[in-house]
Amino acid sequence: MNEKLPDSPDWTRREFLAGTSAALVVAAAAAGTLEAQTPGAAPAIAVDPAVPHSTIRLTVNGVARDVEVEDRWTLAELLRDRLGLTGTKIGCDRGECGACTVLVDDQPVYSCSNLAVWMDGRRVTTVEGLSNGGPLTPLQQAFVAHDAAQCGFCTSGQLMSATALLKRNPRPSAADVKAALAGNLCRCGNYNRYVDSVVAAGGGVRSSVGGDQ
Amino acid sequence: MPALNTVGHSTPRIDAVERVTGRAKYTNDVQLPGMLYAKVLRSPHPHARIRSIDTTRAQALPGVKAILTHETTPVVWGAGGIAGGQQYNDEVKKITKHRRYAFNNPVRFVGEPVAAVAAENRHIAEEALRLIAVDYEILPFVLEPEAALESDAPKIWPEGNIAVNNRNEPLPITQKRGDAHAAFATAPHVFEDRYSTSFVHNAQMEPRSAVAHWDGDKLTLYTPTGGISNCQHDMARDLGIADEKVRVVCHYMGGNFGNKNQNQDGDLITAMLAKAAGAPVKLEFSRKDDFIGMHGRWPTVQYYKVAVDNDGTLQAVQLRGYSGMGPYRKNSGAIGGIELYRCPNVDHVVTPVYTNRTVSANFRGPEFPQGFFGIQSMMDDVAYKLNMDPVEFGVKNMSRMFRDEVPFTNFTLEECIRRGAELFDWTQRWRPLPGADAGPIKRGAGFTYMLFRSGLGMSSAVVQVDANAKYTLFVGVTDVGAGAKTTMGLIAAEALGVPLSQVTVVWGDTDRCPYSVGESGSRTTIMTGYAVMEAVRDLKQQLAEKGMPTGSQTLVAKASPNPRLEGKVRNAFGAHFVEVEVDTELGHVRLTKYVAVHDSGRIMNPLTATSQILGAATMGVGMALHENLVYDQKSGQPLSAGFYYDRIPTHLDAPTVEVSFVENDDGYGAYGAKSIGESGIILSPGAINNAIFNAIGKRLKDLPITRDKVLGALA
Ligand code: FES
Ligand code: FES
Repeated sequence: MNEKLPDSPDWTRREFLAGTSAALVVAAAAAGTLEAQTPGAAPAIAVDPAVPHSTIRLTVNGVARDVEVEDRWTLAELLRDRLGLTGTKIGCDRGECGACTVLVDDQPVYSCSNLAVWMDGRRVTTVEGLSNGGPLTPLQQAFVAHDAAQCGFCTSGQLMSATALLKRNPRPSAADVKAALAGNLCRCGNYNRYVDSVVAAGGGVRSSVGGDQ
Repeated sequence: MPALNTVGHSTPRIDAVERVTGRAKYTNDVQLPGMLYAKVLRSPHPHARIRSIDTTRAQALPGVKAILTHETTPVVWGAGGIAGGQQYNDEVKKITKHRRYAFNNPVRFVGEPVAAVAAENRHIAEEALRLIAVDYEILPFVLEPEAALESDAPKIWPEGNIAVNNRNEPLPITQKRGDAHAAFATAPHVFEDRYSTSFVHNAQMEPRSAVAHWDGDKLTLYTPTGGISNCQHDMARDLGIADEKVRVVCHYMGGNFGNKNQNQDGDLITAMLAKAAGAPVKLEFSRKDDFIGMHGRWPTVQYYKVAVDNDGTLQAVQLRGYSGMGPYRKNSGAIGGIELYRCPNVDHVVTPVYTNRTVSANFRGPEFPQGFFGIQSMMDDVAYKLNMDPVEFGVKNMSRMFRDEVPFTNFTLEECIRRGAELFDWTQRWRPLPGADAGPIKRGAGFTYMLFRSGLGMSSAVVQVDANAKYTLFVGVTDVGAGAKTTMGLIAAEALGVPLSQVTVVWGDTDRCPYSVGESGSRTTIMTGYAVMEAVRDLKQQLAEKGMPTGSQTLVAKASPNPRLEGKVRNAFGAHFVEVEVDTELGHVRLTKYVAVHDSGRIMNPLTATSQILGAATMGVGMALHENLVYDQKSGQPLSAGFYYDRIPTHLDAPTVEVSFVENDDGYGAYGAKSIGESGIILSPGAINNAIFNAIGKRLKDLPITRDKVLGALA
């Protein structure tokens, strides 16, 4: 077991029901923090030496690094499985949903549809790189305040497309947001919330949803 | 209804920061040392007998660690196809004749699992699938429920194609009162029509996956489940081990929308691969696997016959319905809607039918969006034919008692409709003469109303306090996206009289949390929320007797209440009003106004509750206008598997939805909470269809209402 597990295996229901409560409090406290992912922790997937592979140099969330990759890996595989940056999600792995959106040289791209080897010399930003451990960006704060993430699975992609939009258009209208995020599907259907969040982060007036406050 | 301190105030989720920083860990984010990757080989045929499977070449591929087939692994997937939708009933699993295995022979739909491989990485696993040689004897197939009932139709099971119930009987679902036949003979107006709905896939954004590892004889399973407790029990039953030997963990999942309060065949396959390989295994579904291998909403055909008096009072309603279940009856196949109307004569017969399509099952409001689309379109049409305003026709004929017999705990349906009409400005937007707008772009308005179950039931919660007045709440919820752990925290904080920040919520792990009913049926807030209140009541009593704990002591309280309703039925109510703009040259439908009014009892957290309605209404737009798992009738192949061809709504399709809650506390559930997660989708397909009729004066009858159908109706 390494520290990346989302839970601690040490606590059993029996202990819990028996009321070993000091242990329980520790477990409870851990529940909120063990999700934390350590970028760059020990690689989960090793390069298979039997298949074509390359070493590339790229910048990920501000850190320059040399990485060995299999030539068949997508950027999503590199980020998630090799670098442990699992905030980037795979919704379809075929360029249909946008859950895997990251920024490459500030442009939003589908990381499932780009090969890792193409990233040589490029600058990649993932959702983990938005606040980089520091305070949330205004966009992330707006997502929290507007309840943008229901299940949260499309959220990283929406954040990355919206981050790119705000960079080129700091005060987008609702229509601008919808157009820029059209490639980011949300099956929870929380589109009104996403649009409101991005408009609000740009300093615009909340527009889409009525009735809840 | 007096206001409360914590409950009822818009509160961001307690895990919102994890969700916007990428720190929330979903199943596929779990990495275990030495973990293998698994893939499933699926049937390319809609119906075929497997003569033989040759895995020798796949076995020989370096890096392949385990291969399972129906020959090596004859394990029944108990939740997969037990008759009558009784998937949690162990007895039914024993007696059912139509048993579903993790791997079946014959295979009965394109996408049915045939073999599974675990290998050192996903690329080797994929390569190994290509090396498995399967010799199939192709069998005839049938795709449509009515065709499957023809006498010469291919038999999917030896007993025939009517789906059997939990006593192995091929019986339809019926509901009768009065004498509909007699009413049709004498009533001044009788109308008949046929409506149909399509197979709509859950299409949750997270493709199904599972991670399993065995520690001796104990299985730990990470899986996107809406019900860790039920999933645990299902796994134990199917694997033939004790419940305590299975631990199920799900902290975050990328959407539920139905059929996840149980184990999946992928969970079983992953656990068995991990056992066979002696290593942890991660199974990953492709998006196509998820679309064709897993369940969606059952498609229906609905024939209505309606009798009405001259003053517009309903006299009789008859439904002959057929539901396409795929080859296993995973759930009921019912068609809801008759209960919306007060009517002395009802004759309702729905036949669930086996077909060689992907299996149908519960999807958000299981039997209601399709049934409400049919009956609410039918009744809207009747109102026009009687020259009545559909809103007035609805208010005149709606149920005021459950099935005209049992009183509701409270009744606000008329208030929902009236408020909706006002917020929407119905009298201005609705056209008394449908299709009257000049020019190619025509506007129109439509509405539907609904009632939906909000019953009580058993669930559990544990709450604990330490000497620093830190409260910890243990609940077996997983949080499918509705915000259950935040809601449970709010309820605990309210009951304790402390701020939410003083309550830590522990969730999503069967080794650490008590039983919870599972996130299906829109009942977690009602049932587990009430258990939280009861646990707090117990804790407060202990505190009153013993005082606050000191040092390393804690006080712990557990509750498993099972409240019952006597002589009453508890329902949520709602009404949706939609304005559309139809481009009569292109067939395109655009939603220009959308008002959703809901009585979901007292709203625990307006912020997340509103999101539920927004999302569900938007999902209903997809069902109304786009989504359909289309099959090629000649080959039996699904053609639209995936987001692109299925066309789930995008940012550009989503209407701006105005949400309004009619709040009240009927004294049941957690502080009067009623169901909410499913109700939003139930109303939208019918409301959109009725608005289209008002715009163009042509009645569309088959979902989804794609452009070709709009143009066809206008031609
Ligand atoms: S996962 Fe890349 S677009 Fe869907
Ligand atoms: S929040 Fe669930 S898919 Fe977007």
